[in-house]
This record gives sequence, C-alpha cells and structure tokens, in this order.
Amino acid sequence: MADSTIPTINFKEKAMELLPEGASFEACLTCGLCSSGCPASGIENMDPRKFIRMAMLGMDAELSQTPWVWCCTQCKRCQHVCPMNIDISQLVFLARGNWPQDKKPSGIVRSCQMIRSTDSTSAMGLPPADFVFVVEDVLQEVRETQPAFRHLQAPMDKTGAFFFVNQNSREPMSEPDEMVPLWKIFDLVGADWTYSSKGWAAENFCMFSGDEEAWYEVIRKRVDAVSELGCKVWLNTECGHSYYTMWHGLKRFGLAADFALESLITYYARWIREGKLPVNSRWNTRKIKFTVQDPCMIVRKAYGESIALDMRFVVKSLVGEENFIDMQPNRSANYCCGGGGGFLQAGMTDHRRTYGKRKFDQIAATGAAYVLTPCHNCHSQMEDIGHFYGGSYGVVHFWTLICLSLGILGENERTYLGPDLLALID
Amino acid sequence: MKEEVRNLTTQLAVIGSGIAGFAASIFAVRRNIAVAQIGNTGAVAYTTGYLDLLGKEDGSPAAVIDPWQALDTLAATQPDHPLAKIPAADIRRSFTEFTAFLGECGIAYGKPQDHNVTALTPAGTLKQTLCVPATMAAGPRAYAEKMPCVIIDFNGLKGFSGRQVAANLQDRWPGLTTERIGFPDMSHGEIYPEVMARALEVPATREKLADLLKKAAGEAQVIGLPAVLGMHRPDHVKAELERLTGLTIFEIPTMPPSVPGIRLREMFEQVLPEKGVTLIPQQKVTALSFDSGAATLCLCDSFGPIRLRAETVILATGRFLSGGLEAGLTGIREPLLDLPVTQPESRAHWYCDRYTDSRGHAIHRAGIEIDSSFRPLMTGGRPYSERLFAAGVILAHQDWIRGRSGAGIAIATAYKAVEAAERFLSSSSSS
Repeated sequence: MADSTIPTINFKEKAMELLPEGASFEACLTCGLCSSGCPASGIENMDPRKFIRMAMLGMDAELSQTPWVWCCTQCKRCQHVCPMNIDISQLVFLARGNWPQDKKPSGIVRSCQMIRSTDSTSAMGLPPADFVFVVEDVLQEVRETQPAFRHLQAPMDKTGAFFFVNQNSREPMSEPDEMVPLWKIFDLVGADWTYSSKGWAAENFCMFSGDEEAWYEVIRKRVDAVSELGCKVWLNTECGHSYYTMWHGLKRFGLAADFALESLITYYARWIREGKLPVNSRWNTRKIKFTVQDPCMIVRKAYGESIALDMRFVVKSLVGEENFIDMQPNRSANYCCGGGGGFLQAGMTDHRRTYGKRKFDQIAATGAAYVLTPCHNCHSQMEDIGHFYGGSYGVVHFWTLICLSLGILGENERTYLGPDLLALID
Repeated sequence: MKEEVRNLTTQLAVIGSGIAGFAASIFAVRRNIAVAQIGNTGAVAYTTGYLDLLGKEDGSPAAVIDPWQALDTLAATQPDHPLAKIPAADIRRSFTEFTAFLGECGIAYGKPQDHNVTALTPAGTLKQTLCVPATMAAGPRAYAEKMPCVIIDFNGLKGFSGRQVAANLQDRWPGLTTERIGFPDMSHGEIYPEVMARALEVPATREKLADLLKKAAGEAQVIGLPAVLGMHRPDHVKAELERLTGLTIFEIPTMPPSVPGIRLREMFEQVLPEKGVTLIPQQKVTALSFDSGAATLCLCDSFGPIRLRAETVILATGRFLSGGLEAGLTGIREPLLDLPVTQPESRAHWYCDRYTDSRGHAIHRAGIEIDSSFRPLMTGGRPYSERLFAAGVILAHQDWIRGRSGAGIAIATAYKAVEAAERFLSSSSSS
C-alpha cells in the first residue's frame, strides 16, 4: 500500500467554528499559563501556546503533521488554567482524526478495531462467551476456596438489575482475580447488579483515535446493552476514560439513554456514609502513607470537585486522615499522569515518560508509599514511571484497599500490595 | 440522560477569583459566614507576589515611600478613589489579616509596616510595595545593605535574565554579579518556572540544585534566584536550600506565567474548600437576579447546571481581562447586571493620544459606583440591591496600574464589602 499523506486542516477556521466566541483563538493573550502547566510542553518541540500561535499564523501544514497531537493527552488542563478558557484539546482531537488510519499510532488504531470486532466492545478482543466463562470460572474458584464467600454472586445478563456494571478488559484477560474484591463489595452492600455479556467492556480507544463514527458506534452498542437489560444505572468501575467517552459521547451524539451514568467512587462514598461498607483505618497500625491520583477523565473533564471530594472521603476512611497526603496540585487542577489519551498504547515510550516526570515529581513530593487511583491507565502509567525514575511507591485499586480494610481480601487478590501492607494482613 | 440542576444555598456568594474575590472569601470565612465562590481562573496567576498598597501618586514623579501619608493626600485630592473611602486603620487591618492568613496557609509574608519596601522587579528595576513574601524578603535587605550578591539564572528559562537584573542595578549595587547554570535533570529546551518550582518540592532535586548553587555563588553569601523555590511549600523549600548551601537565598519575581501567582491561586483553591468554602473554580456566573428573599446565581460547570441561592453577593469580577467590564462600540458595560458604568463621554475620550501620557488614560478610571456600604449604585444613586456589594478593581475612580495599588484596592475593599455583608446578614437574621 502506498503511503498516504496527512491532509492539511485550516485550524484557524476550525477554531472559529468549534470554539465559543470570546474563548477562541483570537482571545489568547499569549501569556503561556497553558504551556507552563502542560506536561507535554517541549515534546516534539511543541506546546499548547505554540499550537495556538502557529494556528493563528496559518502554519496549518506543520500543525496537521505534528506527532505532538498524540502526546497531548487531551486532559484539558491547559483550558483549566487559561484565563480566557480556550479549549485547545478540541483542535487536537480534530488533528488526530485527520491523520490517515495507517499513519496513526497503530496501538490505538488496533485497540479501536478490537473494540469493534466483538459484541463485548473489549479493546483486548475478548468475546462475550469468553467473558462469561472467565467470570463463572473465577466465581466457582472463590466459592470453593473462600468459605465466607461460598454464596458469592456475579450475575450475568440479569434483566431488571439496578446496576449495569462495566469492567476494564484487563481484569478478565490478564488478572481475573482482581474482579473478586469488587464482587465482594457488591455482595456486602447488597447491591442489585449484573454484568452483561454484551457491551460490558469499559475501554473506548476509538475516541482517542479521533474516529467519531467508531466512538459513536461503541457508545451506541453499550447504550443498547444497558437498555436491553432494563438497568437503572450504568455503573462505571475503576476506569477513567470509559466514563468520559460514554458521558460526553451521549451529549455529543445526542443519544437518548433511559438510565443514569454513575461512577463507582460515588457509590463507595455513599455506602461508607450509609454504614453499608463498614471500612475503617484501624488496620493501618504502621501509619503507611497514601496519596490519590485524580483521573482527568472523571474529575477535571466530567464531575469536577464533587467526585474529587468523594474520593478523598473514601481514602481517608480507608487509611486514616493523618495518613493521607494530597498531591499538589490536585482535584480539578491535577496533572494528567501521561497514561491518558491512548499514550500508553501509542508506542511513544520516551515521550510518555518525559510527560510522566511531572507526575513522578508530584508523587515523590508527597513521600507516600502508595497511590490510589480509580483508573487503569493512570494505574499502569504511574507504575511504569515509578520503575523508570526509581520511585519506591506502589499503586493500588480502591477495591483492594476496601477489602483489605474489611479483612476480606483473598490471597490471590493481593498483587498490588507491597511487603508493608502484606505484613499487616498476616 | 437527564441533566439535573444542582441546587446550592449559601449566606454569601463571591463572584470572582482574583485577589479581591479570594480576600473576600478569606475575610468571610474568618467571620464564620458560609461562602460559595465562583470565578474564572482570573489574573491571580499574573501577580508578582508583592502586595502593593500605594506606590505612586498622581502628578508626582517620585515613588511613594510612606503609603499611609500618601493615603491622606489621596483622600484630599481624589475623594472618590475607593481607598479614599476607607479609614487607614481598616486598610492596615485588612492587610494584616490577609497576610496572616497567607502565612498560616504556608506562604509567609512580611507584615505591613509604616513604610513601603524597595523591592526588585524581573527587569532589575526597583519598585515600592507594602508586603513582600518571605521567600523574597532577603532581596530588599541585600540591596539596602549593598551586600556582595550573585543573581543566578538558568539555561532555557525565558523571562528572567540575571544579566539584565545586574546591568540595571550595577550603578547602585556594585557588588552584584550574575551566573548562569543548568537546572538539574532539565538539560535541554525551554523550561518554565512552574516546572522548576514543582521539581524543587522533591528533596532529591533540591540536593542536586544546592550543589550547583554553592559553586555558582563563589565568595558571595547571598544569592538571588528567579521565583522558583517550590510551589506548595515555598518557605520550606527556601529553608531547605539555605540549609543545604549555607547561603542566604531570595527570589525575584519573573515575567508571567510566574510562580508566585500560581502559588497563591493553588493555595486558595486548596485551603478554602478545607475551610468550608464551596469553591466552583474556572466557571463564570451566567445570570444573577435578586428577589426579596435572596439572590439567585446561575452557572454551569463541566458536569451541568448549578443554581445557587445566596443571602448576599459580592461582585469582584475585575475589569476587562476578567470580564467584569466589557468594552463595546457604544461604550463600557457591566455585563452581569448591567450596572451603570461611570466612563468617559465617548470612545474618543478613552485614551490620550500618547500611550505614555503622564496623565494616564480616562478608560482606566471607568467602573461602577458604590455607596459607603460598598453597594453598587443605580443611576440616581440608589443601591441596586441591599444584598449586593462590590470589591476590587471593578470600582470606578481608580487607576490601579498607575497607582501601584492593585492589591491594596482588592484587599481593602473586599474587607469593607465583607464587613457590610456581615452587617446585613446579622440585621436580617435578628429581624
């Protein structure tokens, strides 16, 4: 196949079309707060301010072709700190979509293709039958090996269940035991929930590839799956972009959905407040320190402060208020870790780690032994930069720590615990 | 999917997130008033960190050494100026309370004194200001005593040049020299003060930098750096670097985007919610209305619409940059309530012919009128609402840039607006 070329976009014209009056490129003061606050600044000799200035100067060919658009994670921090509220990420999304398929980072393209290849909508291509098998198989093992959970349930395709629960494919594919703590939590609070064999997967790399049609198709399939079972709430588990692609996608594509979208974090907080999840921090006798990573996709880009506060309430309940150290900055002003936007799948490892240095410094400044985060991409990226820059922290899921606090964390469910935490269990 | 309106209530809504807005929230919190603050990112991030009260008098070429005496002159020559309407004791109290709060929250400041401090600017010129952050305090002292000092700058850092600072000060400060070094682990490309400051929150980076600073200092015991000494714990970072190097270190503000402003903004955003403020950052109020019972504010955050009912409101929306005032073909407007704006007769009178005209430009004195309770006035002189107060540079009859009085106007008028709101709240609750 002959090499395709990247068409040239008229960025200035598109900016005028896409961005609201008063918050478009002509409003830019060139102050540089965006670039100063962007971890991707300098990569590929580009930064957000330069992007806008080049657009204003009509340097469309250069902008259309810069690989920087794959290093910008579209985290929207530039907009967050911009006094004129200019949304540069929209132009980056446009630029990504403009690249021919064969020129885009193949990891992102492949993940999107995988999502579309089965009814599961799984980026790892796990078909519905295999997902059902893995869930049943793991459930069987838990029932047999953990007497306290011999009646544990993991309902599949249960019509009329309150919660439709999604799952990142990494669990059933690579670490199925990581699903168990979540099931135990549902069991404990008496949640009426179900998995679905269709549309169960969380990931949506089609958005990251800039392919609107594919993004829509994935969202559509998931909405249909929820509607088919008649569930009231689509419950997004510990995954960041899955929430944003669905929530923003519904608005963007004008899709009707007869159910609510909620994050598991909101429910963790609610269940703790209601006493249904009786977690406490008494187990943390060694006063091990924890920090939390706010995923851009659910905090800055969606819920805002409310979910950030819920997340802190949950963490403090779990580890003790005095053992929680916030990263700076945090909440809506937090830095993207560099795992978002498909960066982890884009094959640009050096750039991704350069980006991640800011996050590494943030974590190192807290001195915390563990980072909690409800996002798989954040999780993987923070682990990787921790190893790369010589950090000594671990990264854990919320569900792990909740079950640890409740004394119900099974032996196979302790992958992410370091020796300090393991010592407290035994 | 249905978007539900979230309903919130509060005693005081502060609209604006500049120095005036944050100061209003701080004064209110310290008076146990329930506060919600809404505002776009604002221009706080552009501040140098210096808190000016009054640095320049109209018609006088000299800088103001004694701002308290200059306030007396101001009251006599410009009785409509917002600072002329506030007793000096209240202005002093407002600065003392504001800087004490900053100190409690990790950014220590010098207390307001009887005289201004002669402080260094990014260009190596001098300016008069009232309060200086502790991280910068050794600079004015070293200058006053003309101590041997090295200004150190960094490869790849734009907006701060040690050579420029030294060149401009050399005549008055012969012992001043300059050195350029590389910042640890940032060896190529453009680097930003914000990134350096965050990296210096990490102990390992401080240790590496300390070694480089010791070499660059040579025989000098005092060194000046661009303002990069940490973002979240500047006083700690400065103390640690001083301990590691054995030197006295001070910061000099840099050109925007600069660290001292980002420091203040992040501290406000961090601390105020912890103190119970409902902070809705990076959003603008789209509609504000008053009925007999309360004010209603409408806004949207990224998640959806919010409706806020507030017993009182402080308008601290700033000027043109922040959207508190809008300039159009037919004149200047206040966009949220369409409050009357005192302004030049026509666009032709906005500016003098010469940009540098020593009289200043009339447009800079445009703004809204207030009564003695800091309530915005309608045409005819009646307050717009007994629940509405205003603070900051949206007020008419001041030219804060020429007067070097931005922080002074923001802090002191916020103090008075909160005082008036508190009076209203207590009278309405007792009636």
